[in-house]
Amino acid sequence: MPARVEEETDPVIRAYLAGVDRTLLRKNAALSVEERFLQLMELQRLAAELRSAVRLDPTA
Amino acid sequence: MRFIIVGGAAATAHGSARLTQDLDIVYDRSPENLARLVRALTPHQPYLRGAPPGLPFHLDVATLLRGLNFTLTSKLGDVDLFGEIAGGGGYANLEPHAISIELFGVRCLCLGLDKLIEVKRAAGRPKDLEVIAELVAIREGRA
Repeated sequence: MPARVEEETDPVIRAYLAGVDRTLLRKNAALSVEERFLQLMELQRLAAELRSAVRLDPTA
Repeated sequence: MRFIIVGGAAATAHGSARLTQDLDIVYDRSPENLARLVRALTPHQPYLRGAPPGLPFHLDVATLLRGLNFTLTSKLGDVDLFGEIAGGGGYANLEPHAISIELFGVRCLCLGLDKLIEVKRAAGRPKDLEVIAELVAIREGRA
């Protein structure tokens, strides 16, 4: 069976597909590749700040 | 330098909304390319990720020739160098399935969406199932 058909009929993949947030994908589709990477870098910075905030406040 | 972006960064290039922390590349293992790779990474102090500090690790052509896949950390961030990936093989096998993208003024190769899905499936990791589903959704959105 060709790989593409396999993915499209794989019940596990189909189950996960139901949980995919397509609004985010549509938003990203409107961006250039470079804009997608800039967005990722912003997200990485945010994640790093959150991690560091948790380290500074051990009760968090 | 001859390399192909794979993994989470390639998924980002295709429009994935997932957060990835490292850059995975499949690199061409020709001696001249290994020398270019070493020249590009050395200023950023590459070191084995997760290894205790102080090991006599030195990223040079000889080191790259002795190994195949390297998980590195650097001043720029985490970089994984793959000589080969499951389900995809090496640079020469993947190049026909790569697309050209421009990033910050540099043209580079990124694994195409169909092949990216294929290698994620071949990796067979449970954590990739969600990623595969998202990539399939991206492909459906393009149809």
